[in-house]
Order: sequence, then C-alpha cells, then structure tokens
Amino acid sequence: MTSAKRKRDDQGAEDTTPRKLRTQPAEDENDSLSELQVQTPSRRGRGLLEENGTPRSILKKSGLANEFNATPKSNRRLTFTTPTKAASKEASNGTPTIVRNADRSARRKSNRSLIDRTINGEDSEDAALGEEDALAQQILSEDEDGQTEERDKEADAQEAIPVPDTPSKRPRGRPKGTGKNQLAAKARKEREPSPPTELPAQEQYFWQNRPGGNKTSNNTLTSQTLLNHDEYFDTMQSYVDRHEPEKAFLLELHSRAYSQWIFELEEGFNICLYGYGSKRAITSDFTAHIYQHLLDQAPCKGTTKTPKIVVINGYTPNVTLKDVLATIASAIIPKGLKLPNQLSSLLTYILDSLARDPPPHPLLVVINSIDSANLRKSLVQSTLASLAAHPSINLLCTADTPNFPLLWDVGLRAQFRFLFHDATTFAPYSVEIDPVEIVNDLLGRSGRRIGGRDGIGFVLRSLPLNARALFRIIVTEQIKAAYMDDGDHDEDEAPTAMSQSKKNAPRAPAGSSQGVVYRRLFHKARDEFVCTSEVAFRTLLKEFHDHQMIESKKDAMGTERLLVPFRTEELQMLLEELLLENAF
Amino acid sequence: MDTKKCYVYAPLEQESRPSKRQRTSKSDPHAGLSERLKIYSKTWAEQEKKVQSTLEEADRATQGKIVDFVAANAPSEDVPRISIPTGLIVAGPSIASHGPYFERLGRGIRDVTNSSYVVLTSGESPNLKTFLKTLINKITSRVEDDDDEEDEIGRSVNSSVRGPKLLNFDLGHVQEWTSRNPVQSIVVAIQDSEAFNTAVLIEMVDLFYSWLDRLPFVLLFGIATSAESFEDRLLGKSLRYLDGQQFDVTQSDDIIEKLFRATIAHPDTEPHIGPNLCRRILERQKDHVQNTQDFVHGLKYAYMSHFYANHATIFLKYDAKFKDFSPDAFEAIRNLPSFRRYIEEKLEAGDTQSVRQLLSSDKFLFEVIEKLIVTVQNALSSLSIAAIVLTRIRESLGITPKVRLSNVWSRAASGELLDSPLLRETMLSIKKTPSDRLARLIDSLISLATEDFGLDAEQLQRELKTLVQDNAGSGPLRSQDDIRNESVRTTVVAQKVLLSKHKAALSEQDKAYSEIVARFYQRLESYFSSALVDPKTLLLYEILVYNLKSPHTEVFQPRPRLAIERALATPHDYLGCECCGNTPDRENTLAGTQPATAIVYQLYLESGAVINATDLWFAFHAIVSKDDEEDQSQTMYVMQMSTISNDTDHTRALFQRALAELKFLGLIKPSRKKADHVAKMMWKGL
Repeated sequence: MTSAKRKRDDQGAEDTTPRKLRTQPAEDENDSLSELQVQTPSRRGRGLLEENGTPRSILKKSGLANEFNATPKSNRRLTFTTPTKAASKEASNGTPTIVRNADRSARRKSNRSLIDRTINGEDSEDAALGEEDALAQQILSEDEDGQTEERDKEADAQEAIPVPDTPSKRPRGRPKGTGKNQLAAKARKEREPSPPTELPAQEQYFWQNRPGGNKTSNNTLTSQTLLNHDEYFDTMQSYVDRHEPEKAFLLELHSRAYSQWIFELEEGFNICLYGYGSKRAITSDFTAHIYQHLLDQAPCKGTTKTPKIVVINGYTPNVTLKDVLATIASAIIPKGLKLPNQLSSLLTYILDSLARDPPPHPLLVVINSIDSANLRKSLVQSTLASLAAHPSINLLCTADTPNFPLLWDVGLRAQFRFLFHDATTFAPYSVEIDPVEIVNDLLGRSGRRIGGRDGIGFVLRSLPLNARALFRIIVTEQIKAAYMDDGDHDEDEAPTAMSQSKKNAPRAPAGSSQGVVYRRLFHKARDEFVCTSEVAFRTLLKEFHDHQMIESKKDAMGTERLLVPFRTEELQMLLEELLLENAF
Repeated sequence: MDTKKCYVYAPLEQESRPSKRQRTSKSDPHAGLSERLKIYSKTWAEQEKKVQSTLEEADRATQGKIVDFVAANAPSEDVPRISIPTGLIVAGPSIASHGPYFERLGRGIRDVTNSSYVVLTSGESPNLKTFLKTLINKITSRVEDDDDEEDEIGRSVNSSVRGPKLLNFDLGHVQEWTSRNPVQSIVVAIQDSEAFNTAVLIEMVDLFYSWLDRLPFVLLFGIATSAESFEDRLLGKSLRYLDGQQFDVTQSDDIIEKLFRATIAHPDTEPHIGPNLCRRILERQKDHVQNTQDFVHGLKYAYMSHFYANHATIFLKYDAKFKDFSPDAFEAIRNLPSFRRYIEEKLEAGDTQSVRQLLSSDKFLFEVIEKLIVTVQNALSSLSIAAIVLTRIRESLGITPKVRLSNVWSRAASGELLDSPLLRETMLSIKKTPSDRLARLIDSLISLATEDFGLDAEQLQRELKTLVQDNAGSGPLRSQDDIRNESVRTTVVAQKVLLSKHKAALSEQDKAYSEIVARFYQRLESYFSSALVDPKTLLLYEILVYNLKSPHTEVFQPRPRLAIERALATPHDYLGCECCGNTPDRENTLAGTQPATAIVYQLYLESGAVINATDLWFAFHAIVSKDDEEDQSQTMYVMQMSTISNDTDHTRALFQRALAELKFLGLIKPSRKKADHVAKMMWKGL
C-alpha cells in the first residue's frame, strides 16, 4: 500500500517539490528496505513488476537516499551497475550534493523526518522505522567504520550504484526479492540498536511491538536441553536453593501476622493472599495455627469437639464446584442426611442450614489458588462469593496470577469482603504446576508426552500394517510441508499482524507451517490403498489420537490439520525408523 | 494432602500439638491486646449502630413507598386485574449495594404485608425454565433436587385430585402452595434486570400475565440505568401487561455522605479517622466501588487497625483505673511524638519539675493523661462541629459551589480550613446576608447546636426578630456590606474615568441590622478560629486519631501485579540477601545468584514481543554458569562442588521451572510464529 502510493507520488512529482525533498532524507536506504519488507508477497510480486516496468521512481528515491547517507561505498558491487549511469550521476549532481548532505546536522535530519511524518500520515510507520535505523546507523558508523562494509554491501545490493541521477533505464541491483531480503534481514539484525533502556512501560510496549521490530534468531532447542519428568525430578531432588534461609525468613515474617489474620477473620473479613511464590506453606501452617487457636477457644475447649476447617486445593486438575460444596456440606451437616444433587440447591441448602443453626465458630474455608484455571468460571466464583458472604463462613484464599482481581466485579468483590495481604514467598510452585509438562506444551513438544519416538514405535508395532502405512504418510507429508516452509519460519497461519506481512518472504506461503490438511491426507491414503473409505480412515486416525501420536487442530481458515507433535529432525529420524521397519 | 482436591482439615498425628512459636524478645507484642480489642468491639458496636440506623433511614422513604405500592396492589375480589403491578426500582449504578437493598426491602415487605417475597438474580435465571424452577423452589421453599422430585412431587401431586403430575417448572406448584398458604401477593423482585436476557424477561412477563387470574403477582425490577432504557428493552405487548410505577432509591453518594456525617464527622466519634485516610476512603468510594457496605468495611478496618496495633489506645478505655494499665502502656505514651513535643515545650518553658514527674511517675502521667484525653476529645469534637456549622451555613445561604461535609471535614481535620478561601468566602457572604436569610441561618444553627458554642445565637435571634417585626418596608433588611447598598458611580474628569463607590444611605433599621450582622460575624469568626485547630498539634493526637494509610491501602486496594513484578524484577527487595544485592549505581542487576525465575523474568523484560526460548536458555545459562564458576572459585557453596554436568542439569531444570512459572503466572504463552518461541503477554509497569 505504502509503496504503491509512494511510487505514484514519485512518478507524479519529481524530487523538486519540497515535500519530496523532505521525505527522502528521512527514508534512507533502510527505509526502502523496510518498505520492501512491508509488502505482502502478492503485492511484492506486483511491486517488482512495476519496478521493472517503471523503475525510475524508486531508483531515484533510493539513489537520493543513498547519497544522503554518505557512507563510504564499497566498489565490489559495482559490477551490477552500468558505468554510464554512474558517470551521468557524477556529472549531474556528484560530489557537492554529497558534501552538502554530509554536512547536514542530525538535528535537522530528525526535524525533517518528524515534519515529514506528520505530513505523510500513512508513511509514518515506515518513516519511523527508517529513522530509527538511520539513527542507529549513524551512531554505529561514527566509530566502527569497519562494520559499515556489511551495510554497504547490502545498500549496494539494493541500489547497485551510488547515486543515480537518471535511473530510469537502470535495472535494480538485485533482481530477486529473496536474496535481498535475506541480506537485508542479516544486515538489519546486526544494526539493530540495543533496546533503549529507561523507557516508560507503555513506550516499551510500543517499542517492542513495533512493526518489524521482532527479530529473533532461528535457533531451536536441542532435545537434550529440556529434561523429561524423571530427569527433572531427579535433578530437582539434589538441588538446594541458596536462598533457603531468606525464604524461611519470609515465611517467618508472614507467620507473625497469623494472629492479625485470625482477628480479621473473626471480625467477618475474608483474607486473600497474593504475591510471587507458592503460598501453600503459609496456608497449611496457618491452618494448623488457627486449628490450635480454635481448639483453645470456647466451644472446643475441654471437649472432644474439633474445629472445622475445609481445605480446597484449587490447583488440582479437575477440582469442581461440586467437590467444593460437597466437602463444605460434609463439614457442617451431620452425616446421614441426604444432600441435594443440584449445585444451586446444594448451595442454598448449605446456606440455609448455616443460617438455621449456625456453627459455634465460623467454618474456615481455605482455598489454595482461588484463581486457578479450574475455578475461574464465573459460576464458581459467584458461588464462592455467596459462601464467603455468609457470616458463618470464613474464607482464606491464595491467588497466584498477577491479574486475579479481574475475576471479580464490584458485586462479587463486595460479597467477598476481602482483605488482601502480600504474601510473597519465592517458594517454587512445586505442587501447583508440572514444569516439564507446561514447558513441553509451551514449546509445542507435547509429543514428548508419549515417550518420544520409542513410544511411537512401540504403539505402531502393535497396530496393523495399514495403520503404520498411514502414519508413515502423515510423517512424510509433514516433513515435506516443513521443507516447503523452510526458510521462512516466521510465516504464520494467520498473517494478520502487521509485522507478519512485513516479515513475510516473497515466496508464496506453502499452505501453512504446521501439519497436514485432513482432506489431502485422506486422498493420499486412498491413493496408496491404505484405506478405502473415510470411515476406515477415521478409525485409523482415532487410534493415533488415542495414543496422542497426532494432534488435530483447525487453522485460521477452519481447515482441519493433522500434526505429529514432533520437530522436523525428530520426524526425520522417525521416518527412517518407519521405513526400516517396513523393510523387514 | 497437597494433591487432594478438597478435604476437611485434621492435624497430623505427630504434629497434633505444634510447638507454639517461641517469643525470643522479653516483651510480648500482644500485651494488652485482648484489652484493646474489648475497647474496639465496644467502640465499633456503637459506630455500627449509627451506621445501621443511618442506612435504614436512608432507605426508609423509598422502601415505605414500595411497601405501600405492594400493599395497595393486593388483589381484591371484585376488580379483575388487567395488568401486573410493577415497581421499577431505580437503584443506581452501584450494583454492589443492590443485593443488601433488596434484602432489606424484602424484610420490609414481609413485615408489613402478608406477601411472599422472592429475589431472583440473573445468575440464577439463564433461561425461562431455570428461572421458573428457581422461582418455584424459592416461593414454596422446597429443598428438593432432581432425583427426589420424582417421588416427592409425583406423590403429592398424584395423590391430589389434580390429575397429571406437574413438571417442576410449572407454576401450578405455586398455585397449590398458595392454596395452602394464602398470601396477599407474590412479590417477585428481579434484582439485576439489566443482566437478564431480554427474551427471558419477555417470556416471564407473558407467563405471569397468563397466570395473573390465579396468582397475585407483583413484579419489582431493580434497575441500574434508567426506567426508560428498561422499557426500551421490552416489547410493546409486554409493556401492556405491566402497570409500572417508578421508585428512585437514594443514591449511594448521598448515603455515603449521610454515613460520613453519622460516623466520621460525628462529634462524639472516638477515635477519629484522620483526614488522609478519610480522603482515601472517600476517593475509593467515588472512583472504584460506590458501595456503602464497603465504606463501612473500610471504617471498620481502620478501627481494627487502630486498636490492634497501637498500644497507647488502651487509654481509651472507659472509666479507666490506674491499676488497669501496665508500665508498658505508659512507656508507649512516652514514646508518642506528640508527647515528646509536649515535654520539650515544657522544658523550654522551664517546667522541669513536672517534666521529671511525667517521665518518671506513671501515676502522675496517668492523671495528666486522664485530663488531657478529655480536653483533646473536646477539641476534636468541636472541630467536627465547626465543620458541620460551616457546611450548614453554606447550605442555608445557598453558596455555590456546593461543598459536601466530607470535603469540609477532611480539610478541617487536616488543619487547612482556617486559612482556606472556602472559609473566607463564606464569612464574606455572611456580611452581605439580608435579614430573612440570616434569620433562617440562625434558626438552623440553633437547631444544630447541641451545646452553645459561644455564638449566643439565641440572643441574636431575639434581637433580629424584634428588628424584623419593626421593619415596615416590604423587603428584608440589608446590611451595610450588601451590594445593593452600594452603587458605583462613573465620572469623567479631565478625560479620565473615575469610579467611585457610594454607600447608599442606610435606614435606622438597616443600621441596627448591620450591627447584628457584624456581631454575628465576629462571634462566628472567633468561634471558628478557636475551634478549627490543627489536630496534629494536639497532645495524644496519635491515640485519638487514626490516620495511617499504610495497612489500609494495601489491604483494600492491593496491587498484586506490581508485587509480583517487583518480586521478580528486584528479588532483593523481598529476599534481602547479600548475594543479589543491588549495586548502588544501577537500579537492578542481573546476577546469577538470583532465583531462576527472576533471572528469566528480567531477560524476558529485555526481549521483544516474541522470545526465542533457545536464546533465552543460552542467556540464562550464561548468567547462571558464570556465577557458579565464581562461586566455585570462592568455594562458598559446597553444593556447587558437584560435577559440572550436574550443574548444567540443575541449570536446565531451573530454567524449565522458571519458564513454567512464567507461563503459570500468565506472562508468556505459546507462539506459533516460529519454532521454540513464546509470546510475551505482560509489560512491566503497564
């Protein structure tokens, strides 16, 4: 979009208009680079055509920019140029321009670009980018002349000739977009200014989310880096944290507040503990403490009665509201009475029986991780709130995530009557989370769950031949797809983000990065006589699903894709094994 | 126990008697705590009583109207009902206070009329069927569930002559119930009408209308926006079935103001809430919660903190005896900043004798405190009264802009009021007040004053009355400062414009009136200057005024995200360890000694919106292993003397855990953009 527009502008008005003049210094070579990157592949193609057809506008611009940049040019790339053009350029506006441009102060430059950006609203993004890079380049070029070579190479690659004056006839230095892009990416990475420090948070957000601002390496973790469960727990067992004394001190510090918390609970408030670190140690210690405290108090003292405390571990997977209510009910309602089955009636039943015959001391409900994914549903939270609002129930809960107050609206918050206490412990969330599983999930290596390649081999051996064949087809197809995608890893299935379109390589997206399209796989399988009908195909796939050997997901277009959750290298090895096995 | 979902706590056998924590220090920090808490509960009980009565009073007017409405719409035999009587209760945007309001309303309706009253919320009524089930269960107050319903209802209904058994969402249940428990009307209150699905509301109205000949329904809708927008949501047909009347509930703003008057600004309050805290509570009310309940909680917590943490508050005990107090309590008094100031002042005055006694003799100190507390209390309560007087004056004179008592009071309590433009402006306008207004003002001041506060208002009132009676003129008397008694004359002398003010000639009566006004003004001025003291200068201010922001803010307005970010970005702040201490020149430094998650988090902060896990791992590894090497050279930690590979394993495990924790905290999520990449979710400080 931007480029097309600019081209038109350039064609229409020559560099004589003041606006244009102002534009160009701001968008130096980098800008034209980034501009190229902005284009979506299809646009890119058209742009190239246009450039080739009517190349003069872009070239002129880049030429001017280059002249402005005034970095020493390496002669290596001059092969790309036709000497005549160079000569004509020298003749027309050669050195004086360079000198003049070089004399321009940085301040003027930035001013210009600022003005320019305000004038050309739509170009602003590119301009901003260009400016950034220009600045960085300026800084870099000041002392490290040696490094400019890289840049020059790239610049030359693009412009082919330092400052062409009548560039209309000259072809672009680099005919292919790909090479340039790679070069550009490389040069850019090196030139990437170190992240500005001391930015206010919101600026940092925009800085880090700026289009094209995300340049990360293509490194991937080797499979040895991530430990599996056994290794992880083995290692963790022998690990001693050097901060143990400090953590113990933190716990001790929190324990000093116990009597205060008891007082607050007695006054009808509920307590919510937040902060970094697992707070189970605190809650369990506090539970023991308040148990003793209640045991020494009026209703229990001297009798065999014991205080009632219900503990709910919200972090346990598949804890349900039903469990919560049933446990609470079991604590306050004498055994033998039949409890209502429905949740809402169970809740009213609990509240009614509490109101009808209040317990000697409020029932303490301790909830570890009230904000865990299992308890986040609004029904759960509103039920907990109405429990907490009852004077005969005290609630002590912990919350782990930073944004947990968003769980509750004003109404719920009022019902909860929370007092919040910072209970940072720095303790590892050893029970709450399973690091191995989470990290595997996070990095898309859920395949490790079934025990890696060996596991798959094991399963396959127990399956009929055509199932093995199907699996081989899936793996082959996936590897093929991966190869087609190779080179532009950053391709996304949903190229929505701006940065996406900028980064996109000009090559047409090869379907998608992940998995094999269901339909295609089915046809392939039919062609190879693995199965005859879709029903049979489904049956075969189900077996894989059951063993978590494949995953099925919908992409942005809603097409179903099947995916073997392994990385390409592993897939290759897997394929080798499969082929070997088949050979036998 | 950790992996169980839910359980009833039972102490483990071996730790059935966990050793009580030993106090190493000699003095028990909780000495006298129970005593102080007794005082607290007594004090708070009084406050709570005031709060309750204020709240009830605030609702009373509208509630009375609603109850009357319900009573008036009881069906009579002769007149067939053609529409459902409907009360539209515009309860304002503070949805948090709607629940308690409808509860109180229900009590009122049940007490006065013979009605059945049920409140339904949107949460209980996702669709008509559930709505009806809940309604029926609530009205008939059956505790039943799906399994039992077969037998129970089945039996009861089947045994009746009614024939086929009713489904559990059939209003026939209600009809059957009313035949057994005759009620005047069935009041169905929809607490949060906005949150209801419109379709449910429309169907409900339809259904209720069709049952209207058998069941005496009265509908009450709680509305947070406006009655108009509520009507807009319903169909014309439904509207025809309803016979609406609107009730406006006192808005929480006004109630808060009333509560403020009854609690914080009440002259008899003790201890007082300080201006800072009070402002904070009010601001929170205004900006965030708008909920009377929460205001009361804030107040309660202030009282709790005051008595819990302040040893000296034990002297607030009623009819205290010297022997009630431990020497520690007196020490606490001697450590109060205001007491120190008092001693220093005494020293400067050369009163060494009493200083010595104050410092050495508890008995003497006790006597002084006893007297002082009364004086200070009086000073504080006259401060409150002065704030009320000022507000009252502004109200009766109609001075704009309106300033609420809460505002005036907190200014007074922080000692800013005496020199404030607010007071000056008010005093100036008193000078200009005509007689009719002044009479009203004095009347209201007399009605207000529980004791005479030196104005001698009644005498002024008498004089004013006689003067006004003698006044033959039609208009009220005007004082000499009244602008109507002034005219500005413009003269042009030698091409210069001269402005000159001229006082109109005052009549005798006006003169006499001016004299009264002047006297009133003077008295008022001296009253204000005597009453509006800066409470912070008072001795024992710390006991009688609770003005600490610290626990209050954190407890009610926590910043959990900040806490977590801080813990991770600068773990030293929490851990206070030597190894990760901050170097003075830089804010926070990455050190390999920091907890793994903190290191990864700080790397995370530095990276862009998408992070390569591999690079993160390399960076992490570099930081941690570098530090390990240093440590090994120093041989500080024996643990690290283990093999290198073990170290790397540890590092890997730690990295994995750190990454998992970041995911758990919601800081990162999987990214599909590239292999082994994660997306950043939160920016620090945003």
